[in-house]
Amino acid sequence: MSARSDVVDWALECYHDLDFGVVHGWLEEESGRTAAGYLPVYAPREIIHACGMLPVGIYGGGDQLEIIRGDAFYQSYICHLPRSVVELAQSGRLDFLSAMLFPSTCDVIRNLSGMWQLLFPEQYVRYLDLPHQRNTELGGAFWERELRTLLKDLGEVSGRTATEEDLKRSIGVYREVRHLILELYRVRREEPWLVPTEELYLLMRAAEVVPPETFLEQGRAYLEAVHAEPGRRRDNSRVVIVGAFCEQPPLGLIKTIERAGCYIVDDDFLVGNRLLEQDVPTDGDPVRALADTFIRHASKTSILYEPDPAGKRHLMAERVAAAGADGVIFAAPSFCDPALLDRPMLRAGAEAEGIPCIAFKYSENSGQFQQFREQAGTFSDAIKLWGGT
Amino acid sequence: MTITAGIDVGSGAVKAVVISADGEDHRILSSTASRIRRRDIRSVVEEVFTTAAAGAEIETIDYVATTGEGEDVPFATGHFYGMTTHARGGLFLEPEARAVLDVGALHSRAVLMNEQGKVLSYKMTSQCASGSGQFLENIARYLGVSQAEIGELSLAADDPEKVSSICAVLAETDVINMVSRGISTENILRGIHESMALRFARLLRSIGASGAVLVTGGLASDAGLLAAIQDALDEDDRVAGTLRVAGHPLSIFAGAIGAAIWGAFRYEKTDLGGAAWKATTPTTQASSSAT
Repeated sequence: MSARSDVVDWALECYHDLDFGVVHGWLEEESGRTAAGYLPVYAPREIIHACGMLPVGIYGGGDQLEIIRGDAFYQSYICHLPRSVVELAQSGRLDFLSAMLFPSTCDVIRNLSGMWQLLFPEQYVRYLDLPHQRNTELGGAFWERELRTLLKDLGEVSGRTATEEDLKRSIGVYREVRHLILELYRVRREEPWLVPTEELYLLMRAAEVVPPETFLEQGRAYLEAVHAEPGRRRDNSRVVIVGAFCEQPPLGLIKTIERAGCYIVDDDFLVGNRLLEQDVPTDGDPVRALADTFIRHASKTSILYEPDPAGKRHLMAERVAAAGADGVIFAAPSFCDPALLDRPMLRAGAEAEGIPCIAFKYSENSGQFQQFREQAGTFSDAIKLWGGT
Repeated sequence: MTITAGIDVGSGAVKAVVISADGEDHRILSSTASRIRRRDIRSVVEEVFTTAAAGAEIETIDYVATTGEGEDVPFATGHFYGMTTHARGGLFLEPEARAVLDVGALHSRAVLMNEQGKVLSYKMTSQCASGSGQFLENIARYLGVSQAEIGELSLAADDPEKVSSICAVLAETDVINMVSRGISTENILRGIHESMALRFARLLRSIGASGAVLVTGGLASDAGLLAAIQDALDEDDRVAGTLRVAGHPLSIFAGAIGAAIWGAFRYEKTDLGGAAWKATTPTTQASSSAT
């Protein structure tokens, strides 16, 4: 076993464990510890961490969970994630959570927050209404007030009121996490044969359920190992994956795309972990700093309002240029309103710039990958041999 | 001059070629194929590649290209999708061809291409195995004939017996009934060929093929099947006289040849950091030379 495979195996175990063994392990290490769950896409983990709680990303059961009870809560034309989360909760797998946060990703997740309050009255449940007015006077002031309320409430839930210093320390920890994630993405972008997306993705998933300090340790060990055990460069095309920010694709789909000859050099998987494009300052009021960084430096995604009508049309060209990519694969979950409503605009913008694109839909429990293999394989060939036409 | 290898990992056999490329001048230096049977695919790939490399008597290979199920071949430089490689390989073997019919062990597909080998359209057989080489191989085994004999026996048929073209299970039952009824092996095989040919004719029609069609894949050397396909096309009023079915002694290598040619194209276009394989380098260590 190599250092690299040790880390990947650890991450894979975290990924497969629908009973959240690592979270239970952390909770049992010390009495009185508590955990707060959050749904995709963005939740201020610094606030949760500052209150002594473990932030736990809840992404459903993927392709490992049969949905029985969850289907009773949603119509057939709703995406898979919420029914899968309900299934996890109804089976008792999320009983360890003391709080649950529902960011305003879409109306389905908003409605789930209401259901949660009825289903689990003993849990602290909060709908996080992310501000769409991107100015400090309105959106900034609103978000700052929301964060202060959340900080106070979670302090009461955990029994540990966060001080200003606690929050600054947590901001510092998550700054390191974000730097490490960006470094992993940089290496993957520059030398994708060193960091297969499958492995990077597993690390990102592990980061959603383990303490940030553990992720920093494992992520740094991985980064060191990839340089010690360089993989083989292949003649693949380079693609950006867009639209997979909420309900996550099955691991098999990510593997299929890369096996078919496409290096994924940028993506929006689990984008909440790097939504803030700038460091949160730790001088001054940390709550205000957190709110202000969100308002000023949140990356452009489908979950946030874009006031400039032309903004999203140029987004793909910017991302493709930044990643040195050859094309875009629009991969969105079936029935995902934010991703699918943005897709025509993003795609039109990309194609207007001559960027080759393909598009498909998936579910977190998609089990057949042949059609994706065929699409990605022919896309890669078209890019390599015909410039994408 | 660029030296490249193409490895086509099929579901029934692995095929490899080594070619030299000088601009648009491509020459096959060696070719090797081996049935997988129940062996570990990785060892079959290594064996076939090593044999092809040795047969080519070259020192280095600049680009190792895989196709088919060969995505995970560890020493490959790049992978190309099966349709892309069969189209290019088909064009190399039959420059007049504007369509290929790839008949493999598990699937069959018709591919329409232009004069540069660019895929314009394609259609595959559905999941049912009765349009595949594996089905024909099973039937041959029941009848006690070798694969090499199938074509000649089929051509000698005088009263072909109709076989179900819908389902492999039903077709196998048909064959058992025919044997018990005393139908000759020649007529059974021709009946199966005709049944498969009807499917292939539909595929070719659906992609709008015209002119020469090269049959590639594992059944490309089956003269009985080629004759049955030509007959099926000639008897179809919609395409009669517009399609000429062609074969080639190296048709089974079309995918590997196409991969090798595209590999040469990519090698000349892209800086991949040197040779992919050297004569003294075992395939398992070939990776170090290209990183």
